[in-house]
Amino acid sequence: MSDAVAEKPKAITSRHDPRFEVTLYKYIGVENSHTLEFYQSHGGYESAKKAITSMKPVDVVEEMKKSGIRGRGGAGFPTGLKWSFMPPVDGRQRYIVCNADESEPGSCKDRYVLEDDPHQLIEGMIIAGYAISATKGVLYIRGEYYLGYERLYKAIQDAKAAGLLGKNLFGTDFEYEIILHRGAGAYICGEESALMNSFEGFRANPRLKPPFPAQAGVYSLPTTVNNVTSLASAVHIIGKGADWFSGMGTDDSKGFHHVQVSGPAKRRGVYEVPMGISYREIIFDLAGGPTEEVKAFIPGGSSCPMFPFTDQYLDMPMEYASVAKAGSMLGTGGIMLIPQNKCMVDALYNVVRFYAHESCGKCTPCREGVSTWLPSMYKKMLAGLGEKGDLELLEDVSSNIRGRSFCPLADACIMPVQASIKHFRPEYEYIIEHGKSMYPRQSRWAD
Amino acid sequence: MKVKVNDVELDLAPGTSAIDAVFAAGYDVPYFCSQEYMSPIGACRMCLAVVGAPRKERDGSWTMDEATGQPKIFYFPNPMATCTTAIMEGMVIDTLSDVTKKAQGGMMEMHLINHPLDCPTCDKGGACELQDRAYEYGSGHSRFIFDKRHNEKHHALSELITLDRERCIHCKRCVRYFEEVPGDEVLDFIERGGHTFIGTVEEGLPSNFSGNITDICPVGALLDTTSRFRGRNWEYDHTRSTSLDDASGSAITIDARTGRIERIKAALNTQVNKNWIDDGTRFGHEYAASSDRIKTPMLRKNGKLEPVTWEEATLFISEKLKKLSDNQLGIALRSDATLEEGVAAKSLAEYLKTGQIDHYPRYASSVISANPASFNDLATAGAIFVMADATEEVPMVDLRIKDALKGVTPPTLMAHGVPIADLRLKERMPRKTNILSVAAPYRVDLMKYAAHSMVYPTGTEVEVLKQIIDASTDAGKALKESLSAAEKAVIVLGAFVLNSAEASKLADDLAKATGAKVMKLGAMANSFGLESQDVLPAKADYSYPNMLSGSAKALIVSGLNPAQNAEVAQALLKLELLVVHDLFENETTALAHVVLPAKSGYEKEGTVVNLEGRYLNVNPAPVDGGQAVDFTGFVKELGDALNERLEGRSVRSARRLLKKSLELDLSELPLEGTIASAKAGKVAGLKTNTSGNALLVPSMVRSEYLNRNAHLFASTGGNALRLHPADAASHNLSAHDVISVSVGGFKRRLSVQPSESVPEGMMLLPALPDQPVGLVQLDLNSIKKEQVALEVA
Ligand SMILES: Cc1cc2nc3c(=O)[nH]c(=O)nc-3n(C[C@H](O)[C@H](O)[C@H](O)COP(=O)(O)O)c2cc1C
Ligand code: SF4
Ligand code: SF4
Ligand code: FES
Repeated sequence: MSDAVAEKPKAITSRHDPRFEVTLYKYIGVENSHTLEFYQSHGGYESAKKAITSMKPVDVVEEMKKSGIRGRGGAGFPTGLKWSFMPPVDGRQRYIVCNADESEPGSCKDRYVLEDDPHQLIEGMIIAGYAISATKGVLYIRGEYYLGYERLYKAIQDAKAAGLLGKNLFGTDFEYEIILHRGAGAYICGEESALMNSFEGFRANPRLKPPFPAQAGVYSLPTTVNNVTSLASAVHIIGKGADWFSGMGTDDSKGFHHVQVSGPAKRRGVYEVPMGISYREIIFDLAGGPTEEVKAFIPGGSSCPMFPFTDQYLDMPMEYASVAKAGSMLGTGGIMLIPQNKCMVDALYNVVRFYAHESCGKCTPCREGVSTWLPSMYKKMLAGLGEKGDLELLEDVSSNIRGRSFCPLADACIMPVQASIKHFRPEYEYIIEHGKSMYPRQSRWAD
Repeated sequence: MKVKVNDVELDLAPGTSAIDAVFAAGYDVPYFCSQEYMSPIGACRMCLAVVGAPRKERDGSWTMDEATGQPKIFYFPNPMATCTTAIMEGMVIDTLSDVTKKAQGGMMEMHLINHPLDCPTCDKGGACELQDRAYEYGSGHSRFIFDKRHNEKHHALSELITLDRERCIHCKRCVRYFEEVPGDEVLDFIERGGHTFIGTVEEGLPSNFSGNITDICPVGALLDTTSRFRGRNWEYDHTRSTSLDDASGSAITIDARTGRIERIKAALNTQVNKNWIDDGTRFGHEYAASSDRIKTPMLRKNGKLEPVTWEEATLFISEKLKKLSDNQLGIALRSDATLEEGVAAKSLAEYLKTGQIDHYPRYASSVISANPASFNDLATAGAIFVMADATEEVPMVDLRIKDALKGVTPPTLMAHGVPIADLRLKERMPRKTNILSVAAPYRVDLMKYAAHSMVYPTGTEVEVLKQIIDASTDAGKALKESLSAAEKAVIVLGAFVLNSAEASKLADDLAKATGAKVMKLGAMANSFGLESQDVLPAKADYSYPNMLSGSAKALIVSGLNPAQNAEVAQALLKLELLVVHDLFENETTALAHVVLPAKSGYEKEGTVVNLEGRYLNVNPAPVDGGQAVDFTGFVKELGDALNERLEGRSVRSARRLLKKSLELDLSELPLEGTIASAKAGKVAGLKTNTSGNALLVPSMVRSEYLNRNAHLFASTGGNALRLHPADAASHNLSAHDVISVSVGGFKRRLSVQPSESVPEGMMLLPALPDQPVGLVQLDLNSIKKEQVALEVA
């Protein structure tokens, strides 16, 4: 490989590339894929064994850095770099936390791993634990994911019984255990510091940063928090090598990601794709294209500002930098299509209601702005009571919230609102002027 | 570290918060969630400002701005919460820009959208941070046209505190306060988002320091129930004074309206109580406004007390006094009398040639240590040994010990005072419980926070101390070693030790051997001062208990009620003269020849010396006290009758005298007081009981006034008899029974409180000024049930 720099093959950026192979999701949907027997008979736990028996922790971290993988929980922070932030080992307990609270509307990529391939996640956590010298893993799973919980519970039991968790892993003196903890139904518990509060038994309010988790995380001890697919990816990065991973994607964004297509598409669902793939390929080739006329799509879960459904955005490569430059975020890869004949104001009301309900209440702009004022304003417009000035007020209040809150949740609500006004202002103006939506509103819930 | 706030350049210590930089520069930003002495959390988002800082190149040099030739300032993309932002070298903070103004104005608006704006009926009105900030930073009109959030408006969090959930702006000060300051997590937010409200899990607020939340709540959401709806803030006269409720010398503000005390708030003394006071001090003021106060002098005529003029009363006294020989008169002051009153009493005793003068209650040994610890010593100690029920004796000692457990030194004061956002403080800091050892004859509250605690059999203080000094037990050895090893160690000694001369001596030996400083908890507010001024009997036979049992032929007592003891009452009948100077009629006034109206601790002017040896001014609230005077006033009136200008006939005259001996002008003390060194007085030995089936214990709630403190009475259930549940059962007593019982000759009315924290075979009841801490015999046969607890099926 060493002399191949010059003729490095072009990285994979399309599912049409024959070299692309579904890896992380390979056994999703396969019968019995969640069992230890199945997992082990398909090469399971080999990467963990390789890491623990043949690599030093810093080598594992270096490999992760080299792979270029960035966190799949939404913020996209380079995973290897995050691992290297852990302070030197000083005898204190250290933790690796797996954030499996997946609650972002439009996202369900973690769920399939939790339910159909729990051992892959456990293996990823073992590797991460080894890399940062943490002997305890905390797996914080969204309360509503009951099947995932059951399967993980069983998987942890089985792994323990098989000596894959516990003391002396793979004949070394490395020990590792996983604490499985269920959430109780709050989106904010996905925010890593609120998650740690919730895990410790406190109210799920985000904590002040700094200190960051590496300095003071779970029980104020050194901690690293990662998303499910960030951790599961480690299995393959270690197994197949960083170069294999970075052989996919673009300069800015390496490897694969998991996109979840929802809305009026033929084949809604979850897809493993190489970074750099175009949104057009995802929506048209993988998901089979829209089933009705679409006016906008959200690229990465409800928190990410929407894009109009135009060539300019459809042909954009899915990578962190391009999406950010276009004014949105890659987020969790939850792609949502918004039909042409649905009222945009109504759609945003739905988004706002979600954040209003999920605001933790700690800071003023979110508790009063997002959780109280915004839904009232939408309700007023949708009830046909909009008045001249309402849109300007909505914009002004939004600008008073954006970038002013304690944690990103308030922004996660405001950014979509602002994007909808930016791209679909006439719909707002129409509803205010005419007292009814430009498009007929339909009941949100099928009766 | 150099920072620039608008146009002002400052050099501040690293670690300073940006908000403090702003205030230090003389500028202002609004804030609601930050609070002195508590962790900054960045929740209200009011303190936003545009902030920037220069950056360094890889080689360590500043990135330069080509245009100006100065280091280039990189602004944060959004306005920053200045309370949670630490300053950086070269930081620039802009509080005047339009962006800052819009951010602050927008946040102000959002604070108000759900606020009921019921200022006209709100007790906080006129002293409300939300009102002030809305006036300064708000827009004056509302753009929120929807229904406001509705919630409970009169929620009794406890008997003492009322919560208005609509007014709450969710700053979290109250929640953080409980966790961070007293360490009692009794309050939290419930629900989330716009539905978030303050609430408790348990009934009430089980904490000894709950009232402080009413001071720090920035709005009128948390109110002191004793003063609710009793006045508007601009109608109150605010008097800064010193609490006479215990020996801490805590600073208080007395709020009075139309001549009546309505509420007590904590005042700031950075060296003593910081911003805090205990609940006994805060809520225990109602007695002073009681309608049955003695208002005029009274003279017994034909067996009945009748109101008379001061002239008539003092003429009567002076005639009687003239008939006495030397050393026949006894004068006794309660130990919360001011220094000036002490001087007056001494000068009277001198003039009347009597050595029978004393202050009471006091202990068998001195409360003045040779190596005294200050509160700040305590708060920064690396090892603390408490042999006391510190929480009840001097609650502030408890609170300052909790500072030490956090391990954060008191903040350095800035130009604007206490830092608003001390970034060293965090929520849920780990506590160094390992540095604290507590020993007491029953489970005391502080043991909850101590890694090492010991409940020893009552009366065995000497043995316990010997075990430590001789390192004869493992625990004793470990404690001695930790006291010796710590850079700063403090030993806190309370009544149980000070009551025994032998134990006190051993404790002093332990301090010497380990190099520890000693904090002695005086019985009352001025125990230290009265001892240091030698308001003490000329010889042991002249002590107050001896005066009562016959050494005096005539007696002047101030604030004491010796006739509660039936035997003493008999002896008092034989006196040629009994003068009682007090607030209320009682067992002793019933026997007195002359009764004189006294001032309460809120009405006096004077000085007390707290347990550190700190001289602190007591200032009078403008209260209608009738013809009440303090002891200096009495000495003046009596001097007039005797045709003598006695020293100490006024506060001024007493201070003149004290200035000579102390070299301290007591009318010019700084607010935080002045520590002056003092020598232990010759405390003539008091006899203490060494046996008994009950223990009189200290109480932060003044037991002598509890009946007249309606709210405190309701919250405590009255003076309690605490005993082990097994003992309660064997004496046929159940919880909440109200009994009358003879205790050491005193008739006491007590409510029964069975408690596991009391050792079997021992009963605990609160001490009284005339029945101080120590063992006593409770006559089980004398128990009468006055009220039987309702059985709830
Ligand atoms: C409001 C909010 C909700 C979040 N929810 C999730 C979540 O459900 N799952 C997740 O992995 N990360 C979530 N995050 C991101 C986490 O805080 C954190 O960045 C992430 O778990 C780090 O993992 P990664 O580096 O592997 O992406 C959320 C962040 C915010 C602000
Ligand atoms: S923005 Fe504020 S209120 Fe909203 S979830 Fe974050 S911390 Fe809580
Ligand atoms: S009750 Fe007062 S102190 Fe407590 S959170 Fe509400 S406003 Fe703040
Ligand atoms: S956010 Fe409340 S004071 Fe700074």
